[in-house]
Amino acid sequence: MSLYQLQHLQQRFAKKTVLDIDELTIEQGCIHALLGPNGAGKTTLLNILAFLESPVCGELAFQGKRVDYAKGNILSLRRQVVLVDQHPIMFSTTVRANIEFGLKIRKIDGATRNRVVDEVLETVGLARYKNARADALSGGETQRLALARALALEPQVLLCDEPTASVDAENQAVITELLRTINREQATTIVFTTHDRLQAATLAQHTLVLENGQRVNTTYENSYACTFEPTSGDKDRYLLHGVVELYLSAENRKSGQGGRGRITLNPESIRLVTDLRESPPVCSQVQGRVVMMMEEGHTIRVVVDVGVLMVVLMLADDYRQQNPAIGQQVCVAVPDSACSWTTAC
Amino acid sequence: MNFFVDSFFAAFRLIGTGDAELLKIVEVTLSVSSLATVFASAVGIPMGFLIAHSQVPGKRAVITVLNTLLALPTVVIGLFVYVFISRRGIFGPLDLLYSQEAMVIGQFILIVPLIAALTIAAVSRVDARYQKTARTLGANGWQTALVILREARFAISAAVISGFGRVISEIGISMMLGGNIKGFTRTMTTAMALEYDKGSFTLAVALGVVLMTLSLGINIIFNLIQGKSSR
Repeated sequence: MSLYQLQHLQQRFAKKTVLDIDELTIEQGCIHALLGPNGAGKTTLLNILAFLESPVCGELAFQGKRVDYAKGNILSLRRQVVLVDQHPIMFSTTVRANIEFGLKIRKIDGATRNRVVDEVLETVGLARYKNARADALSGGETQRLALARALALEPQVLLCDEPTASVDAENQAVITELLRTINREQATTIVFTTHDRLQAATLAQHTLVLENGQRVNTTYENSYACTFEPTSGDKDRYLLHGVVELYLSAENRKSGQGGRGRITLNPESIRLVTDLRESPPVCSQVQGRVVMMMEEGHTIRVVVDVGVLMVVLMLADDYRQQNPAIGQQVCVAVPDSACSWTTAC
Repeated sequence: MNFFVDSFFAAFRLIGTGDAELLKIVEVTLSVSSLATVFASAVGIPMGFLIAHSQVPGKRAVITVLNTLLALPTVVIGLFVYVFISRRGIFGPLDLLYSQEAMVIGQFILIVPLIAALTIAAVSRVDARYQKTARTLGANGWQTALVILREARFAISAAVISGFGRVISEIGISMMLGGNIKGFTRTMTTAMALEYDKGSFTLAVALGVVLMTLSLGINIIFNLIQGKSSR
Protein backbone atom coordinates (compact mmCIF):
# COMPACT_ATOMS: atom_id res chain seq x y z
CA MET A 1 0.00 0.00 0.00
CA SER A 2 1.34 3.41 -0.89
CA LEU A 3 1.78 5.92 1.91
CA TYR A 4 2.99 8.91 -0.10
CA GLN A 5 2.23 9.64 -3.71
CA LEU A 6 3.97 12.55 -5.41
CA GLN A 7 3.01 13.79 -8.84
CA HIS A 8 4.64 16.55 -10.88
CA LEU A 9 5.99 17.99 -7.65
CA GLN A 10 8.34 20.97 -7.81
CA GLN A 11 10.18 23.05 -5.27
CA ARG A 12 11.97 26.27 -6.09
CA PHE A 13 14.22 28.55 -4.07
CA ALA A 14 15.11 31.97 -5.39
CA LYS A 15 13.68 31.10 -8.83
CA LYS A 16 15.89 28.00 -9.03
CA THR A 17 14.17 24.64 -9.30
CA VAL A 18 15.75 22.39 -6.70
CA LEU A 19 13.27 19.52 -6.91
CA ASP A 20 11.29 18.32 -9.90
CA ILE A 21 9.73 14.89 -9.46
CA ASP A 22 7.30 13.54 -12.02
CA GLU A 23 6.11 10.61 -9.99
CA LEU A 24 7.15 8.93 -6.78
CA THR A 25 5.44 6.43 -4.51
CA ILE A 26 6.59 5.53 -1.02
CA GLU A 27 5.29 2.23 0.26
CA GLN A 28 3.92 1.88 3.78
CA GLY A 29 5.99 -0.17 6.23
CA CYS A 30 9.08 -0.25 4.01
CA ILE A 31 12.55 1.24 4.30
CA HIS A 32 13.41 3.57 1.43
CA ALA A 33 16.90 4.86 0.75
CA LEU A 34 17.34 8.17 -0.98
CA LEU A 35 20.67 8.41 -2.76
CA GLY A 36 22.24 11.30 -4.56
CA PRO A 37 25.13 13.72 -4.53
CA ASN A 38 25.14 16.91 -2.45
CA GLY A 39 22.62 19.41 -3.77
CA ALA A 40 20.55 16.71 -5.48
CA GLY A 41 17.42 17.71 -3.53
CA LYS A 42 17.37 14.92 -0.94
CA THR A 43 16.91 17.17 2.10
CA THR A 44 14.33 19.29 0.28
CA LEU A 45 12.35 16.14 -0.50
CA LEU A 46 12.56 15.03 3.15
CA ASN A 47 11.32 18.46 4.30
CA ILE A 48 8.32 18.12 1.98
CA LEU A 49 7.63 14.57 3.15
CA ALA A 50 7.81 15.84 6.75
CA PHE A 51 5.26 18.56 5.89
CA LEU A 52 7.75 21.21 6.93
CA GLU A 53 7.77 22.78 3.47
CA SER A 54 5.05 23.01 0.90
CA PRO A 55 5.98 22.48 -2.75
CA VAL A 56 5.45 25.34 -5.18
CA CYS A 57 3.45 23.09 -7.48
CA GLY A 58 2.43 19.49 -7.93
CA GLU A 59 0.44 17.14 -5.84
CA LEU A 60 1.31 15.25 -2.68
CA ALA A 61 -1.01 12.59 -1.31
CA PHE A 62 -0.56 11.02 2.13
CA GLN A 63 -2.48 7.86 3.06
CA GLY A 64 -4.47 8.25 -0.16
CA LYS A 65 -5.64 11.78 0.61
CA ARG A 66 -4.40 14.91 -1.12
CA VAL A 67 -2.42 17.02 1.33
CA ASP A 68 -4.15 20.28 2.13
CA TYR A 69 -1.59 22.84 3.24
CA ALA A 70 -4.12 24.90 5.18
CA LYS A 71 -2.76 25.75 8.66
CA GLY A 72 -4.97 23.52 10.80
CA ASN A 73 -4.73 20.48 8.53
CA ILE A 74 -0.99 20.34 8.19
CA LEU A 75 -0.33 20.13 11.95
CA SER A 76 -2.22 16.85 12.32
CA LEU A 77 -0.24 15.39 9.38
CA ARG A 78 3.04 16.67 10.76
CA ARG A 79 2.36 14.86 14.01
CA GLN A 80 2.42 11.52 12.17
CA VAL A 81 5.88 12.09 10.72
CA VAL A 82 9.19 12.90 12.39
CA LEU A 83 12.31 14.11 10.63
CA VAL A 84 15.70 13.48 12.22
CA ASP A 85 18.27 15.94 10.92
CA GLN A 86 21.77 15.09 9.75
CA HIS A 87 23.11 17.22 12.60
CA PRO A 88 20.27 17.06 15.13
CA ILE A 89 20.09 19.78 17.73
CA MET A 90 19.05 19.14 21.32
CA PHE A 91 17.05 21.58 23.40
CA SER A 92 19.31 22.98 26.11
CA THR A 93 17.86 20.88 28.87
CA THR A 94 18.06 17.27 30.02
CA VAL A 95 17.90 14.13 27.88
CA ARG A 96 14.61 13.26 29.53
CA ALA A 97 13.04 16.68 28.85
CA ASN A 98 14.08 16.45 25.20
CA ILE A 99 12.24 13.17 24.78
CA GLU A 100 9.25 14.41 26.74
CA PHE A 101 8.83 17.49 24.53
CA GLY A 102 6.75 15.86 21.81
CA LEU A 103 4.80 13.81 24.35
CA LYS A 104 3.84 16.90 26.37
CA ILE A 105 2.67 18.61 23.19
CA ARG A 106 0.42 15.62 22.55
CA LYS A 107 -0.86 15.94 26.14
CA ILE A 108 0.34 12.47 27.20
CA ASP A 109 0.00 11.98 30.98
CA GLY A 110 3.03 11.96 33.28
CA ALA A 111 3.06 8.23 34.08
CA THR A 112 2.95 7.27 30.40
CA ARG A 113 5.64 9.82 29.60
CA ASN A 114 7.93 8.30 32.23
CA ARG A 115 7.40 4.82 30.85
CA VAL A 116 7.98 5.89 27.24
CA VAL A 117 11.13 7.84 28.13
CA ASP A 118 12.57 4.80 29.93
CA GLU A 119 11.66 2.47 27.06
CA VAL A 120 13.13 4.55 24.24
CA LEU A 121 16.29 5.34 26.17
CA GLU A 122 16.72 1.62 26.76
CA THR A 123 16.17 0.98 23.05
CA VAL A 124 18.90 3.40 21.96
CA GLY A 125 21.23 2.43 24.81
CA LEU A 126 21.26 5.81 26.54
CA ALA A 127 19.39 4.92 29.76
CA ARG A 128 22.33 6.02 31.92
CA TYR A 129 22.12 9.56 30.48
CA LYS A 130 18.46 10.11 31.39
CA ASN A 131 19.15 13.11 33.63
CA ALA A 132 22.25 14.35 31.85
CA ARG A 133 22.29 17.56 29.83
CA ALA A 134 21.33 16.68 26.25
CA ASP A 135 23.57 19.29 24.66
CA ALA A 136 26.63 17.76 26.32
CA LEU A 137 26.39 14.39 24.55
CA SER A 138 28.81 13.28 21.83
CA GLY A 139 27.86 13.32 18.13
CA GLY A 140 26.91 9.63 18.01
CA GLU A 141 24.96 9.82 21.25
CA THR A 142 23.16 12.94 20.02
CA GLN A 143 22.14 11.11 16.86
CA ARG A 144 20.82 8.19 18.96
CA LEU A 145 19.00 10.59 21.29
CA ALA A 146 17.42 12.28 18.27
CA LEU A 147 16.16 8.87 17.18
CA ALA A 148 14.85 8.19 20.70
CA ARG A 149 13.08 11.56 20.71
CA ALA A 150 11.43 10.61 17.44
CA LEU A 151 10.61 7.04 18.49
CA ALA A 152 8.88 8.21 21.66
CA LEU A 153 6.18 9.68 19.42
CA GLU A 154 5.60 6.37 17.60
CA PRO A 155 5.45 8.10 14.23
CA GLN A 156 4.00 6.42 11.16
CA VAL A 157 6.96 7.69 9.18
CA LEU A 158 10.52 8.26 10.29
CA LEU A 159 12.60 10.43 7.98
CA CYS A 160 16.35 10.44 8.59
CA ASP A 161 18.71 12.82 6.82
CA GLU A 162 22.04 11.02 6.53
CA PRO A 163 21.67 9.33 9.93
CA THR A 164 25.15 7.81 9.95
CA ALA A 165 27.10 10.45 8.04
CA SER A 166 28.68 12.19 10.99
CA VAL A 167 29.12 9.39 13.53
CA ASP A 168 31.86 6.84 14.19
CA ALA A 169 31.74 3.25 12.97
CA GLU A 170 30.38 1.90 16.26
CA ASN A 171 27.48 4.34 16.30
CA GLN A 172 26.87 3.72 12.58
CA ALA A 173 26.27 0.05 13.31
CA VAL A 174 24.02 0.85 16.29
CA ILE A 175 21.93 3.34 14.29
CA THR A 176 21.61 1.05 11.27
CA GLU A 177 20.43 -1.80 13.48
CA LEU A 178 18.02 0.55 15.28
CA LEU A 179 16.40 1.59 12.02
CA ARG A 180 16.02 -2.04 11.01
CA THR A 181 14.46 -2.93 14.40
CA ILE A 182 12.05 0.02 14.36
CA ASN A 183 10.85 -0.95 10.90
CA ARG A 184 10.51 -4.64 11.79
CA GLU A 185 8.85 -4.29 15.20
CA GLN A 186 6.72 -1.18 14.75
CA ALA A 187 6.14 -1.35 10.99
CA THR A 188 7.33 2.26 10.80
CA THR A 189 7.92 3.50 7.29
CA ILE A 190 11.48 4.80 7.09
CA VAL A 191 12.98 7.08 4.46
CA PHE A 192 16.66 7.89 4.87
CA THR A 193 19.16 9.74 2.74
CA THR A 194 22.68 8.50 2.29
CA HIS A 195 25.70 8.67 0.03
CA ASP A 196 26.58 5.11 0.93
CA ARG A 197 25.13 2.80 -1.69
CA LEU A 198 26.18 -0.24 0.31
CA GLN A 199 24.21 0.96 3.33
CA ALA A 200 21.24 1.63 1.07
CA ALA A 201 21.45 -1.84 -0.44
CA THR A 202 21.72 -3.64 2.89
CA LEU A 203 19.09 -1.64 4.78
CA ALA A 204 16.46 -0.51 2.31
CA GLN A 205 13.86 -2.43 0.33
CA HIS A 206 13.59 0.42 -2.14
CA THR A 207 16.25 2.77 -3.42
CA LEU A 208 15.58 6.10 -5.10
CA VAL A 209 18.27 8.16 -6.74
CA LEU A 210 18.05 11.92 -7.15
CA GLU A 211 20.27 14.03 -9.34
CA ASN A 212 19.83 17.75 -9.94
CA GLY A 213 16.46 17.52 -8.21
CA GLN A 214 15.15 14.78 -10.51
CA ARG A 215 14.71 11.05 -10.15
CA VAL A 216 17.20 9.14 -12.24
CA ASN A 217 17.40 5.48 -13.11
CA THR A 218 20.96 4.84 -12.07
CA THR A 219 22.32 2.86 -9.19
CA TYR A 220 24.23 5.91 -7.88
CA GLU A 221 27.34 3.84 -7.90
CA ASN A 222 30.48 5.07 -9.62
CA SER A 223 28.88 8.47 -10.01
CA TYR A 224 31.52 11.15 -10.41
CA ALA A 225 31.61 14.88 -11.00
CA CYS A 226 33.68 15.37 -14.13
CA THR A 227 34.62 17.66 -16.97
CA PHE A 228 34.87 16.65 -20.60
CA GLU A 229 36.44 18.17 -23.64
CA PRO A 230 36.25 17.13 -27.27
CA THR A 231 39.45 15.89 -28.91
CA SER A 232 40.43 15.85 -32.54
CA GLY A 233 39.74 12.10 -32.74
CA ASP A 234 36.49 10.20 -32.27
CA LYS A 235 36.90 10.08 -28.49
CA ASP A 236 36.21 12.75 -25.87
CA ARG A 237 38.42 13.23 -22.85
CA TYR A 238 36.58 12.89 -19.51
CA LEU A 239 38.34 13.93 -16.33
CA LEU A 240 36.76 12.36 -13.22
CA HIS A 241 37.17 14.46 -10.05
CA GLY A 242 40.04 16.19 -11.84
CA VAL A 243 42.30 13.15 -11.46
CA VAL A 244 41.17 10.15 -13.53
CA GLU A 245 41.19 10.33 -17.33
CA LEU A 246 38.82 8.33 -19.53
CA TYR A 247 38.48 8.48 -23.31
CA LEU A 248 34.94 7.69 -24.37
CA SER A 249 33.03 7.79 -27.62
CA ALA A 250 31.90 11.23 -28.77
CA GLU A 251 28.38 9.79 -29.02
CA ASN A 252 28.06 10.19 -25.25
CA ARG A 253 28.12 13.95 -25.34
CA LYS A 254 25.15 16.02 -26.27
CA SER A 255 26.90 19.13 -27.55
CA GLY A 256 30.07 19.90 -29.39
CA GLN A 257 31.47 22.02 -26.57
CA GLY A 258 33.36 20.93 -23.51
CA GLY A 259 31.58 21.10 -20.18
CA ARG A 260 30.99 19.95 -16.66
CA GLY A 261 28.60 17.35 -15.39
CA ARG A 262 28.34 13.98 -13.79
CA ILE A 263 29.24 10.64 -15.26
CA THR A 264 27.97 7.32 -13.97
CA LEU A 265 29.72 4.06 -14.76
CA ASN A 266 27.49 1.01 -14.41
CA PRO A 267 29.37 -1.30 -12.03
CA GLU A 268 27.91 -4.37 -13.77
CA SER A 269 29.10 -3.26 -17.20
CA ILE A 270 32.67 -2.27 -16.42
CA ARG A 271 35.22 -5.11 -16.29
CA LEU A 272 38.08 -5.91 -14.00
CA VAL A 273 41.21 -7.38 -15.61
CA THR A 274 43.99 -8.71 -13.42
CA ASP A 275 46.42 -9.51 -16.22
CA LEU A 276 47.69 -6.07 -17.15
CA ARG A 277 49.07 -7.40 -20.45
CA GLU A 278 45.56 -8.27 -21.54
CA SER A 279 44.27 -5.23 -23.40
CA PRO A 280 40.51 -5.16 -23.83
CA PRO A 281 39.70 -3.97 -27.34
CA VAL A 282 37.83 -0.71 -27.96
CA CYS A 283 37.68 0.16 -24.29
CA SER A 284 38.93 3.01 -22.23
CA GLN A 285 40.81 1.67 -19.24
CA VAL A 286 42.26 2.86 -15.98
CA GLN A 287 44.70 1.17 -13.64
CA GLY A 288 44.34 0.92 -9.90
CA ARG A 289 44.70 -1.19 -6.78
CA VAL A 290 42.08 -3.51 -5.27
CA VAL A 291 41.16 -2.15 -1.85
CA MET A 292 38.02 -4.11 -0.89
CA MET A 293 36.13 -7.23 -1.89
CA MET A 294 32.77 -8.42 -0.65
CA GLU A 295 30.31 -11.14 -1.57
CA GLU A 296 26.86 -9.78 -2.44
CA GLY A 297 24.42 -12.51 -3.41
CA HIS A 298 25.57 -13.93 -6.74
CA THR A 299 28.05 -11.17 -7.38
CA ILE A 300 31.33 -10.07 -5.89
CA ARG A 301 31.77 -6.37 -5.19
CA VAL A 302 35.34 -5.31 -5.86
CA VAL A 303 36.40 -1.77 -5.03
CA VAL A 304 39.39 -0.49 -6.96
CA ASP A 305 41.27 2.68 -6.12
CA VAL A 306 42.02 4.24 -9.50
CA GLY A 307 42.49 7.71 -8.07
CA VAL A 308 38.83 7.62 -7.13
CA LEU A 309 37.11 4.56 -5.71
CA MET A 310 35.49 2.53 -8.51
CA VAL A 311 33.14 -0.38 -7.85
CA VAL A 312 33.11 -3.41 -10.13
CA LEU A 313 30.38 -6.03 -9.66
CA MET A 314 31.79 -9.35 -10.88
CA LEU A 315 29.85 -12.51 -11.54
CA ALA A 316 31.19 -15.50 -9.59
CA ASP A 317 32.61 -17.19 -12.71
CA ASP A 318 34.41 -14.06 -13.83
CA TYR A 319 35.71 -13.56 -10.29
CA ARG A 320 37.13 -17.09 -10.17
CA GLN A 321 38.74 -16.55 -13.55
CA GLN A 322 40.34 -13.22 -12.72
CA ASN A 323 40.96 -14.08 -9.05
CA PRO A 324 41.84 -10.56 -7.82
CA ALA A 325 43.55 -10.05 -4.47
CA ILE A 326 43.55 -7.15 -2.06
CA GLY A 327 46.41 -4.78 -2.93
CA GLN A 328 46.82 -6.21 -6.44
CA GLN A 329 47.35 -3.82 -9.36
CA VAL A 330 44.52 -4.33 -11.83
CA CYS A 331 42.96 -2.68 -14.82
CA VAL A 332 39.35 -1.52 -15.08
CA ALA A 333 37.98 -1.57 -18.63
CA VAL A 334 35.20 0.94 -19.26
CA PRO A 335 33.14 0.33 -22.42
CA ASP A 336 31.16 3.26 -23.79
CA SER A 337 27.93 1.40 -23.08
CA ALA A 338 28.69 1.46 -19.31
CA CYS A 339 28.61 5.25 -19.14
CA SER A 340 25.79 7.68 -18.72
CA TRP A 341 26.34 11.39 -18.62
CA THR A 342 24.36 14.31 -17.28
CA THR A 343 25.31 17.92 -17.86
CA ALA A 344 25.57 20.22 -14.87
CA CYS A 345 22.64 22.61 -14.45
CA MET B 1 39.76 63.90 50.44
CA ASN B 2 38.54 64.00 54.04
CA PHE B 3 35.29 65.47 52.84
CA PHE B 4 34.82 62.56 50.45
CA VAL B 5 35.63 59.93 53.10
CA ASP B 6 33.41 61.68 55.67
CA SER B 7 30.53 61.67 53.16
CA PHE B 8 31.02 57.94 52.67
CA PHE B 9 30.99 57.17 56.40
CA ALA B 10 27.92 59.36 56.90
CA ALA B 11 26.24 57.63 53.98
CA PHE B 12 26.90 54.16 55.42
CA ARG B 13 25.56 55.34 58.79
CA LEU B 14 22.41 56.49 56.99
CA ILE B 15 22.01 53.12 55.33
CA GLY B 16 22.86 51.24 58.52
CA THR B 17 20.30 53.10 60.64
CA GLY B 18 17.58 52.59 57.99
CA ASP B 19 16.88 56.29 57.45
CA ALA B 20 13.16 56.68 56.62
CA GLU B 21 13.68 59.22 53.85
CA LEU B 22 16.34 57.07 52.19
CA LEU B 23 14.13 53.96 52.38
CA LYS B 24 11.17 55.80 50.87
CA ILE B 25 13.30 57.06 47.96
CA VAL B 26 14.61 53.53 47.32
CA GLU B 27 11.07 52.12 47.52
CA VAL B 28 9.69 54.65 44.99
CA THR B 29 12.63 54.07 42.65
CA LEU B 30 12.30 50.28 42.75
CA SER B 31 8.53 50.41 42.40
CA VAL B 32 8.54 52.74 39.37
CA SER B 33 11.52 51.09 37.63
CA SER B 34 10.20 47.57 38.20
CA LEU B 35 6.75 48.40 36.85
CA ALA B 36 8.22 50.15 33.81
CA THR B 37 10.50 47.16 33.16
CA VAL B 38 7.66 44.63 33.51
CA PHE B 39 5.40 46.52 31.10
CA ALA B 40 8.23 47.21 28.65
CA SER B 41 9.23 43.53 28.72
CA ALA B 42 5.65 42.45 28.13
CA VAL B 43 5.60 44.60 24.99
CA GLY B 44 9.26 44.63 23.91
CA ILE B 45 9.94 40.87 24.01
CA PRO B 46 6.98 39.82 21.82
CA MET B 47 7.63 42.82 19.56
CA GLY B 48 11.28 41.82 19.15
CA PHE B 49 10.33 38.20 18.52
CA LEU B 50 7.75 39.10 15.89
CA ILE B 51 10.10 41.48 14.10
CA ALA B 52 12.90 38.90 14.14
CA HIS B 53 10.65 36.20 12.69
CA SER B 54 8.58 38.25 10.29
CA GLN B 55 9.35 38.21 6.58
CA VAL B 56 7.50 41.43 5.79
CA PRO B 57 9.06 44.11 3.60
CA GLY B 58 10.37 47.03 5.61
CA LYS B 59 11.69 44.83 8.41
CA ARG B 60 15.15 46.36 8.16
CA ALA B 61 13.66 49.84 8.30
CA VAL B 62 11.78 48.94 11.51
CA ILE B 63 15.00 47.61 13.05
CA THR B 64 16.83 50.80 12.03
CA VAL B 65 14.11 52.93 13.67
CA LEU B 66 14.32 50.84 16.85
CA ASN B 67 18.09 51.18 16.95
CA THR B 68 17.75 54.94 16.46
CA LEU B 69 15.29 55.11 19.36
CA LEU B 70 17.97 53.61 21.62
CA ALA B 71 19.69 56.98 21.52
CA LEU B 72 16.54 58.92 22.41
CA PRO B 73 17.40 61.37 25.24
CA THR B 74 15.28 61.03 28.35
CA VAL B 75 14.40 64.71 28.33
CA VAL B 76 12.89 64.34 24.85
CA ILE B 77 10.69 61.51 26.11
CA GLY B 78 9.83 63.62 29.17
CA LEU B 79 8.82 66.50 26.95
CA PHE B 80 6.87 64.24 24.59
CA VAL B 81 4.87 62.60 27.39
CA TYR B 82 4.41 65.98 29.10
CA VAL B 83 2.63 67.30 25.98
CA PHE B 84 0.07 64.55 26.30
CA ILE B 85 -0.48 64.49 30.07
CA SER B 86 -0.20 68.16 31.01
CA ARG B 87 -3.42 69.98 31.88
CA ARG B 88 -3.80 71.13 28.26
CA GLY B 89 -2.88 67.70 26.79
CA ILE B 90 -5.39 65.16 25.53
CA PHE B 91 -4.79 63.02 28.63
CA GLY B 92 -4.83 66.04 30.95
CA PRO B 93 -8.14 65.07 32.63
CA LEU B 94 -6.52 61.86 33.85
CA ASP B 95 -4.37 63.99 36.16
CA LEU B 96 -1.22 61.96 35.53
CA LEU B 97 1.39 64.72 35.61
CA TYR B 98 3.81 64.56 38.56
CA SER B 99 2.70 61.04 39.47
CA GLN B 100 4.46 57.68 39.59
CA GLU B 101 2.19 56.54 36.72
CA ALA B 102 3.57 59.31 34.50
CA MET B 103 7.13 58.23 35.35
CA VAL B 104 6.26 54.61 34.51
CA ILE B 105 4.84 55.70 31.13
CA GLY B 106 7.96 57.72 30.31
CA GLN B 107 10.35 54.97 31.39
CA PHE B 108 8.29 52.41 29.49
CA ILE B 109 8.75 54.45 26.29
CA LEU B 110 12.46 54.73 27.06
CA ILE B 111 13.20 51.01 27.29
CA VAL B 112 10.71 49.33 24.94
CA PRO B 113 13.04 49.96 21.95
CA LEU B 114 16.02 48.73 23.98
CA ILE B 115 14.35 45.47 25.05
CA ALA B 116 12.87 44.92 21.57
CA ALA B 117 16.19 45.55 19.80
CA LEU B 118 18.10 43.24 22.16
CA THR B 119 15.37 40.59 21.81
CA ILE B 120 15.69 40.76 18.01
CA ALA B 121 19.42 40.19 18.35
CA ALA B 122 18.88 37.36 20.87
CA VAL B 123 16.22 35.54 18.83
CA SER B 124 18.09 35.95 15.54
CA ARG B 125 21.09 34.18 17.04
CA VAL B 126 19.07 31.07 17.98
CA ASP B 127 19.97 28.17 15.69
CA ALA B 128 17.27 27.70 13.01
CA ARG B 129 17.31 23.96 13.71
CA TYR B 130 15.45 24.56 17.01
CA GLN B 131 12.46 25.82 15.06
CA LYS B 132 12.63 22.93 12.58
CA THR B 133 13.02 20.39 15.40
CA ALA B 134 10.09 21.77 17.39
CA ARG B 135 7.87 21.71 14.31
CA THR B 136 8.77 18.17 13.30
CA LEU B 137 8.10 17.01 16.87
CA GLY B 138 4.58 18.36 16.46
CA ALA B 139 4.73 21.85 17.96
CA ASN B 140 2.29 24.46 16.69
CA GLY B 141 3.34 28.06 16.04
CA TRP B 142 2.90 29.16 19.64
CA GLN B 143 4.79 26.17 21.07
CA THR B 144 7.58 26.70 18.54
CA ALA B 145 7.84 30.35 19.59
CA LEU B 146 8.18 29.26 23.23
CA VAL B 147 11.01 26.88 22.28
CA ILE B 148 12.89 29.69 20.54
CA LEU B 149 12.32 32.06 23.45
CA ARG B 150 13.51 29.37 25.84
CA GLU B 151 16.73 28.91 23.90
CA ALA B 152 17.23 32.68 23.88
CA ARG B 153 16.31 33.08 27.54
CA PHE B 154 19.67 34.25 28.82
CA ALA B 155 20.12 36.87 26.13
CA ILE B 156 16.53 38.02 26.70
CA SER B 157 17.13 38.14 30.47
CA ALA B 158 20.16 40.30 29.76
CA ALA B 159 17.91 42.57 27.67
CA VAL B 160 15.46 42.93 30.57
CA ILE B 161 18.27 43.63 33.03
CA SER B 162 19.73 46.22 30.66
CA GLY B 163 16.29 47.84 30.50
CA PHE B 164 16.01 47.89 34.28
CA GLY B 165 19.51 49.32 34.57
CA ARG B 166 18.58 52.05 32.10
CA VAL B 167 15.43 53.18 33.94
CA ILE B 168 16.77 52.93 37.47
CA SER B 169 19.61 55.27 36.56
CA GLU B 170 17.74 57.77 34.36
CA ILE B 171 16.91 61.25 35.65
CA GLY B 172 15.28 63.31 32.86
CA ILE B 173 11.94 61.48 32.77
CA SER B 174 11.69 61.19 36.55
CA MET B 175 12.39 64.89 36.99
CA MET B 176 10.09 66.17 34.20
CA LEU B 177 7.14 63.81 34.70
CA GLY B 178 7.51 63.03 38.41
CA GLY B 179 8.48 66.48 39.64
CA ASN B 180 10.79 65.13 42.40
CA ILE B 181 8.07 65.36 45.07
CA LYS B 182 9.41 64.17 48.41
CA GLY B 183 7.93 60.87 49.57
CA PHE B 184 5.90 60.54 46.42
CA THR B 185 7.88 60.80 43.16
CA ARG B 186 11.39 61.39 44.47
CA THR B 187 13.71 58.71 43.09
CA MET B 188 17.34 57.99 43.84
CA THR B 189 18.62 59.95 40.84
CA THR B 190 16.38 62.99 41.33
CA ALA B 191 17.20 63.01 45.05
CA MET B 192 20.91 62.83 44.28
CA ALA B 193 20.61 65.78 41.89
CA LEU B 194 18.71 67.78 44.50
CA GLU B 195 21.17 67.00 47.28
CA TYR B 196 24.03 67.94 44.97
CA ASP B 197 22.33 71.27 44.22
CA LYS B 198 21.97 71.84 47.96
CA GLY B 199 25.61 71.00 48.55
CA SER B 200 24.58 68.15 50.87
CA PHE B 201 26.50 65.12 49.72
CA THR B 202 25.73 62.62 52.49
CA LEU B 203 22.33 61.48 51.21
CA ALA B 204 23.55 61.74 47.59
CA VAL B 205 26.49 59.42 48.29
CA ALA B 206 24.29 57.05 50.30
CA LEU B 207 21.85 56.81 47.39
CA GLY B 208 24.77 56.31 44.99
CA VAL B 209 25.98 53.43 47.11
CA VAL B 210 22.49 51.88 47.22
CA LEU B 211 22.12 52.28 43.44
CA MET B 212 25.42 50.58 42.70
CA THR B 213 24.69 47.83 45.25
CA LEU B 214 21.34 47.15 43.61
CA SER B 215 22.96 46.93 40.16
CA LEU B 216 25.66 44.64 41.49
CA GLY B 217 23.10 42.42 43.26
CA ILE B 218 20.97 42.03 40.14
CA ASN B 219 23.98 41.14 38.02
CA ILE B 220 25.23 38.61 40.59
CA ILE B 221 21.82 36.89 40.63
CA PHE B 222 21.75 36.85 36.82
CA ASN B 223 25.23 35.35 36.63
CA LEU B 224 24.32 32.72 39.23
CA ILE B 225 21.25 31.67 37.24
CA GLN B 226 23.24 31.61 34.00
CA GLY B 227 26.09 29.64 35.59
CA LYS B 228 23.74 27.09 37.14
CA SER B 229 22.00 26.55 33.82
CA SER B 230 25.16 26.11 31.78
CA ARG B 231 26.51 23.41 34.06
